[in-house]
Amino acid sequence: MSIGFTEDHEHLRELVRRFLQARSPSHEVRRLIRDGLGRDDEVWFQMAGQLGLQGIAIPEEYGGSGFGPTELGIVLEEMGRVLLVAPYFSTVALAGQTLTASDDEEARRRWLPGIADGSLTATLAVAEHGGTGARTEIATIAEPAGDGWALTGTKLFVLDGHTADLLLVVARAEDGIGLFGVEGDAAGVVRTELESLDLTRGMAEVVLDAAPAIRVGGDRPSGGWLPRVRDLVLASLAAEQIGGAARCLELAVEYAKVREQFGRPIGSFQAVKHKCAGLLIEIEAGRSAAYHAGFAVAEPGAEGAAAAALAKAYCSEVFTHAAKECIQIHGGIGYTWEHDAHLFLRRAKSSELLFGTPARQRARFADLVEI
Amino acid sequence: MTLQERANPAPAETGEEFRTRLRAFFTDHHPGRAPKDPAERFAWNRRWLATMFDHGYAGPGWPREFGGMELSFAHQVIYQEELARARVPGPLGTGLGIVAPTIIKYGTREQRDRWLGPMLRGDKVWAQGYSEPGAGSDLPSLRTTARRDGDEYVVNGQKVWTTHAGDADLFFTLVRTGTPQSRQKGITYLVVDARARGVQVRPLRDLTGGHAFAEVYFDDVRVPVADRIGEENEGWPLVRTSLGHERAAGAMNQAALYRRVLTELEDLARERGLLADPLVRARFTDLEIQVRIIRYNAQRIISDILAKGEPGAASSVSRLLISAFEQEIHEFALDLLGPAALLGKSAAQSVQRSRWLHGFLRTRASTIGAGTREIQLNTIAEQVLGLPHDPAMPPR
Repeated sequence: MSIGFTEDHEHLRELVRRFLQARSPSHEVRRLIRDGLGRDDEVWFQMAGQLGLQGIAIPEEYGGSGFGPTELGIVLEEMGRVLLVAPYFSTVALAGQTLTASDDEEARRRWLPGIADGSLTATLAVAEHGGTGARTEIATIAEPAGDGWALTGTKLFVLDGHTADLLLVVARAEDGIGLFGVEGDAAGVVRTELESLDLTRGMAEVVLDAAPAIRVGGDRPSGGWLPRVRDLVLASLAAEQIGGAARCLELAVEYAKVREQFGRPIGSFQAVKHKCAGLLIEIEAGRSAAYHAGFAVAEPGAEGAAAAALAKAYCSEVFTHAAKECIQIHGGIGYTWEHDAHLFLRRAKSSELLFGTPARQRARFADLVEI
Repeated sequence: MTLQERANPAPAETGEEFRTRLRAFFTDHHPGRAPKDPAERFAWNRRWLATMFDHGYAGPGWPREFGGMELSFAHQVIYQEELARARVPGPLGTGLGIVAPTIIKYGTREQRDRWLGPMLRGDKVWAQGYSEPGAGSDLPSLRTTARRDGDEYVVNGQKVWTTHAGDADLFFTLVRTGTPQSRQKGITYLVVDARARGVQVRPLRDLTGGHAFAEVYFDDVRVPVADRIGEENEGWPLVRTSLGHERAAGAMNQAALYRRVLTELEDLARERGLLADPLVRARFTDLEIQVRIIRYNAQRIISDILAKGEPGAASSVSRLLISAFEQEIHEFALDLLGPAALLGKSAAQSVQRSRWLHGFLRTRASTIGAGTREIQLNTIAEQVLGLPHDPAMPPR
């Protein structure tokens, strides 16, 4: 297993960082929050057309550039730093990776080129009212209907579910849990955006009433590859989280250098220094965990599952801690709506609770490594 | 370019071939179980170092001309992994990690020839003489003096926290040659013969009840000027020299070591039927996560060095991760064992010769020795994050 970044990786990081610094500064993030559109079209198509970011982890034969979780992790870490408002995580990290992992030639050919060129947005709908996404929670039913299937049930916590062109829905068929593609505007689909904590990433309820669907993975049960999707998603989220955490520390450090109290910069006080250095330790440790997970899930096997659970558990805690400390170090300024610190706290807490809380991931990790 | 890089030939054998060769060497020459008696153990350890040296398996990162292996960094990592796997003892004294790089970088040819080989072979054991009762983390305030007298220095003062001073043949020390106010600008690096007249070693009992440390007194000790490293009053910058790469490769060794310690604690908990408790399981899970992160972090340092020639930010946090972990694992072991953990090793009922209790006490030093945790956090804050200097502290 490769454990290091190459020079090309560093170039990719540099390229994405410069692009996002120019195109997703704080005032743009806030404009998109106010407009409630969920993305800037021009930025979205530039990302796809000029930078090829949507297709980064999609095989070349479907219009992507054929890289994997490591390269996607680099992109997501950078997006996490700027709280990019766009359906990138849902379309690329969730749906794109799911389809790529699915091994369903027809499904890949139908949807991946659209994801790669930016013309199709998509998401993955797993969790229901319990919010855990566990197999036992899946109550949405898939029944054969004509040439295809019909889905009935209610999905919750669906990221960008109200805008996605394609919904990949996990549902229960007679032969077991399966994955189904549903057009966002198909008959029998009612989507409602839900007011929720993270202002930079929308979340929806999707009610399906005999909605027409196509089974992904053909008629084979998808039990074999769905767990791998979960590992890929967890590793992706950990990468995004660590980017957000690192930015929180940067903001805090920048402020501590210039803000004076008692006649000296607050960053010269040990209490503040130790807070910042302590965060750096956590962030670097989290980075090691997230990078390792990216490399580990690139190859199938048990190592990836444990590494991804570990990274999601650890990076969730690191990001939330960093966001809280960022507010604390900013003092009163950090408590205001005008400062970005709360946007990071919102993203951090949401990411922590979605896709399995740290406690749940720790329990999964313990099972996987047989503690 | 470092010494290692300049002299390093392209590796003649692949990593796997090298690993096989190392494994065979460690199997064929394994020194067996360590004797319990401290003096016998010391002699046994020395013999093992000599065996490694004589077969060309000592000093993975050292230049060949001083008896080292001059390995590429990738091969050093393999060396450390196999060393940990073979469970053989490492170098004696504190010399190799700290003073050797200083001698390699700043020593004269004569000093290198005289000191390095015997250090690596274990023929001469070195101990550190930096700290003083009033100068620990604030090292520039040290007060041991050295006055020039012809071809000699006359040294007076006291050092403390000197690990294994009783076994040492040589002390590498920092002494004040400038005015008392000169701070780091008046410090000289001297090597003092442990058997010289006027050197007195008094074992210092630490909180474990053991005598790993000592106080060292210098009373008109005469040290040849030829045993000074670098120039007079210019000893301070020498302190920071280190074979950073060797240390980074060693991080892998530590990760493997602590992985083993954790397994041993898990085995103990299982034997005693304690793993069934969900809270116990949760804490083991947390420790497992930490020890894995220590390993991932070591891997990251290594891959940074391989890709860019130097360790990145991961290396600055490595020691703090490890010190927190080793304190926590022993603390947890005590929790786990309850009153049984309290018994000393002579008690017939003691658990595993009270290794966990000893570890709990011993690892109090992990966040103090070689710079307290607080000083290291300051260093990270200022040097990695660029936060402003504390005006209450003297300028760097």
